[in-house]
Amino acid sequence: MRGISPGMALILLLLVAFIVAALAAPWIAPFDPLRQSLLMRLRPPGTTVAAGMYLLGTDDLGRDLLSRVLHGARASIAVAALSVSISLAFGTLLGLLAGWFRGWVAVAIMRSVDTMLSIPAILLAVLTVAVLGPSFLNLILVLGLTRWPRYTRVAYAQTLQVATLPYIRAAEMAGAGSARILWRHILPNIAGPLMVVATSEFGLMILFEAGLSFLGLGIQPPYPSWGSIMSVGRQYVERAWWLTVFPGACLFVLVLCVNLFGDWLRDRVDPRSQGR
Amino acid sequence: MTAPVLEVTDLAVHFPGRTGAPVRAVDGVSFAVAPGETLGLVGESGCGKSTVSNAVVGLVPPTRGSLRVMGTEMTGATRATKHDIRARVQMVFQDPVTSLNPRMSVGAAVGEPLLVRGLASGAALRARVSELLEEVGLRPEHAQRYPHQFSGGQRQRIVIARALALRPDLLVCDEPVSALDVSVRAQILNLLVELQQRRGMASLFVSHDLAVVRHVCDRVAVMYLGRLVELAPRDALFATPRHPYTRALLAAVPEPDPVAQRAKPRVPLAGEIPSPSNPPPGCTFHTRCPFATERCRQEVPAWRPLGESMVACHHAETLA
Amino acid sequence: MQPALIVENLSLALGRANLVDSVGFSVAPGEVLALVGESGCGKSVTAQAIMRLLAPALRQTGGRVLLAGQDITALPERAMRALRGQAMSMIFQEPQAALDPLATVGTHIAEALRRPLRDVRDQVLQMLAEVGISDPARRIDQYPFELSGGMCQRVMIACALISRPAVLLADEPTTALDVTIQAQILDLLRRLAAERRTAVVLITHDMGVVADIADRVAVMYAGRIAETGPTAQIFARPRHPYTSLLLASIPRLTDAPKSTLAVIEGRVPTPAEFGPGCRFASRCPLADDTCRAATPPLRDMADGRLSACFHAEQLP
Repeated sequence: MRGISPGMALILLLLVAFIVAALAAPWIAPFDPLRQSLLMRLRPPGTTVAAGMYLLGTDDLGRDLLSRVLHGARASIAVAALSVSISLAFGTLLGLLAGWFRGWVAVAIMRSVDTMLSIPAILLAVLTVAVLGPSFLNLILVLGLTRWPRYTRVAYAQTLQVATLPYIRAAEMAGAGSARILWRHILPNIAGPLMVVATSEFGLMILFEAGLSFLGLGIQPPYPSWGSIMSVGRQYVERAWWLTVFPGACLFVLVLCVNLFGDWLRDRVDPRSQGR
Repeated sequence: MTAPVLEVTDLAVHFPGRTGAPVRAVDGVSFAVAPGETLGLVGESGCGKSTVSNAVVGLVPPTRGSLRVMGTEMTGATRATKHDIRARVQMVFQDPVTSLNPRMSVGAAVGEPLLVRGLASGAALRARVSELLEEVGLRPEHAQRYPHQFSGGQRQRIVIARALALRPDLLVCDEPVSALDVSVRAQILNLLVELQQRRGMASLFVSHDLAVVRHVCDRVAVMYLGRLVELAPRDALFATPRHPYTRALLAAVPEPDPVAQRAKPRVPLAGEIPSPSNPPPGCTFHTRCPFATERCRQEVPAWRPLGESMVACHHAETLA
Repeated sequence: MQPALIVENLSLALGRANLVDSVGFSVAPGEVLALVGESGCGKSVTAQAIMRLLAPALRQTGGRVLLAGQDITALPERAMRALRGQAMSMIFQEPQAALDPLATVGTHIAEALRRPLRDVRDQVLQMLAEVGISDPARRIDQYPFELSGGMCQRVMIACALISRPAVLLADEPTTALDVTIQAQILDLLRRLAAERRTAVVLITHDMGVVADIADRVAVMYAGRIAETGPTAQIFARPRHPYTSLLLASIPRLTDAPKSTLAVIEGRVPTPAEFGPGCRFASRCPLADDTCRAATPPLRDMADGRLSACFHAEQLP
C-alpha cells in the first residue's frame, strides 16, 4: 500500500466535509431553509440580524442562502448516491450475466446497451421526467435506470477476462454453480474497475441533478437544490451575485473532488500501476 | 487386469479456425491410466497436450471419441452424471498465481469443493481443511490468510490441497512446476511423488520438461501435432526411444552437466512445427524427420505395439 | 587479452531497497558468461543497468561498467544511444513482443545498421542466412506475425549482431521456446559468438542451458554473486551451498526416478528482509552466527573461482 499524498488528503478531507455537511444539514444550518422573510430579500453576505448572520446572504424570498446551500448538498448527494446505487446494481448484474453466459444472452444484453448509449442521456432524462412528472423519487429512478449501460460494459469486459482464469475453472470443477461463481469468484474480482466507474458517475449524477433542477425538472421548490438556487439566481445575477456564485462554487468543487478521487482510485485499481 | 481410471479412445478436439479449416488440436488420441499409475504426456507447445487434459477434466468438449472415467462414459452424459464424475477428476494448473481467487481466503478455497457439494460444513469443514493443508505441508492457521501472502511454491501447495479435497481418483496436473523457480520446483515434485505413494491416486501429468516427467511418471506418452507418436513405460522410453521425434526431444534436453551435455551428439531437429490447421499428409512428423521416406509422406503410420512400447512410425524397427 | 566488458561493484536500489549489491564480472571476446539465478535475484536488472535501460524507479548507487576498457558509466545519454545496438546489443525472452508488429524483418535489421533497407539489402539477406533463416529473400519482407517464435528470435539475433557489437546481452533468450527450437538457438548463439568474437552475457535460470553453452558462470542469489568460475568446475564441485543445493534439486535424466530431490527450505528473502549477513543464511544448512552477522566477501578459491561463503572449504 502506498501512502496518500498531501493533495489527495485535502481532496478526501473536502469530500468528507461535503458528506458530513449534507448529513448534518438540519442541525448545522443556522436558519430554516424554507422560512421566508420578505423584508430580508437579496441581502448580501454578512448581513446581521437579531437571529444571527446571513453568512452567504439571502435569496429573492429572504431565505438564508447558507442554509439552503447546505440542504442543497443533501439533495445533490442523496440523488447521486441513490441513482448510482441503482444503476450500479442493475448494470453490474446484466454485465455479469452477459459475460458469463455469453451466446444469445450476451447479444441481447449488449445490443440493448448499445441502444441505450445511442440515446442522449440528458434528453432521455428530460423526456422521462416530463412524462412522469418531476419529483425527488422520479429523478432518482430516471437517473438510476438510464445510466446502467456504462456499468454493464465494464462488468461484461471484466467478466469475460476473469472467466478464463484457472481459479474459475477450479470452481467449476469443484462443482460450484453459476450463481456462486458469479457472486463469490467473479464479482469480488471485478469490483475495483466498477467502483472507478461508479465514482465518475457519481460526479456526473451531481451535475445531472443540478442541471435538471436548473431546468425545473428536478427537486421542486420550495425545497432547495444547487441547480434550482442557481436557476433563480440567474435572474438576479447583476444585483445578487452570491446566489449563483456560492452554489456554483460548491458544485464545481464537489464534482472536481469526486473526479480527482476517481482518478486516484483508478490508479490504485489498475493492475498495471501496482507493484514494480 | 484392473479397470482403468481413465480410458481415452480416439479422442479428437477441433477448434474452428480463422481461415476455414478447423484447427485439429487433438486428432485421434487413445490411452488409458491404470489405478495408482502416473502417465506423463509430453510434447512441445501446440502439440495438443493441454487440450487433452482440458478435455479429460471436462473443460473442453470433444469433437469425437470417447472419454471414460472409472468406467463411466463422459461424452454425451447427462448433467448430473458429469457433475458426479467431475468430483472424481481434479486438476492442478500451471500458474499458481491465477489458480487461486485473490479475494478468497485459503481455507474457503480449499474447502469450496466440499462445501458446494454438501460434503462438509461448519466445524467438520474446518477440520477437513486443516487436514488437507497439513497433508500438503502447510499449517492449519494458513486457512485464514489470502493467496497474496504466500510464495509461488506455497500457492501451488494450496492448489494441490484444493484438488485433493474431494479425494479424486485421477489428478490431472497441467505443467504444475513450469511457472515455479528451480529451487521451489523440487519441493513440489517431492510432494507430488509423496502423494502418489501415500494416496495411491492415479494421475495424468502434462509437461514439456522430459526430466520432470521422467522423475514422476510410470509411463510416458509423447505427442506431436495432435497425435500420439509413442507411449511406453518410462524406462523403456528413455532407454530405447522408438520414434524419431522422441529421440530428437531427448537429444534436445539440455542436461545440467557440462561434461555429458557437451559430449552429446548434436543432431538438432531442423525446421519448425507445422500449423495444426494444415497438418502435413502422411506422418505429420515427416517434414522434420531425418529418416523420412516417400511412404512417410503419403501413408499415416499405424499406432502399433513394438516391444514394450506403442509407436506410430513406419521405420521404428530400423531405428533401434 | 583485454575483456570486452567489465562490471565492477555494480549496486542498484529501488527506493531504499538494495536490489543488487556490488556485482562484478568480466567477459572476454568470444566468451559466454552465464549469469544464473532464480527470479528476483537481480540478473535481469544487472543487464538493464549495463545497457543503462533501467526502469525509472531503479537507481544505480555505485559501481562502473567498462566497455573495451572505456568507462561508460558517466557517458551522457546521447553517447549511450550511439553505443546501444552498435557496440553492445541485447536480446530478450519474448522475441515476438520485442519486434514492432508493423515493421518487416528487413526493416528491423536495417534499423540496427541505421541505414535504409534498400542500401543494405544484400547485407541483411546475408545476415538472415547466417542466423539460419531459410529462404531469406522471402522472409526479409515478412512481418513478425508471419514468423514462429524461434524464427523471431533468429531475427532478433540478426538485429543484435549485424553491427558486430563487442558485447551481446541475452536475457533468457530461449525460455519462451520449445526444447527442439532452444537447441537450435543455443547452437546458433555459440557459433556466432565464436566466429565474431562477441562477448556474450547469457542471463538464464536454466542450469541445463548453462551447462550447454557457458564458458564461465556467475551464480547470483538475492542481488549478490554467490560464486563465479569456469562452468565445468562449478558443476563438478560447487563452492557455495546455494549452487550445490540448486544443482541437487534439479531432476536429471540420469538419476533414480521418484527419488527425493534435495530441497532448499524456505524462500528467497525480499529486499526488505535483507539483513547484515549472508543473504542465503536463512536457508543454508551451513549457516552459523558469523554468516548472519557479516557479509561474506567473494574469496579466491585458488582454482580460478571466487566464492562468497565463509564455509566454502566445508563443502564436499
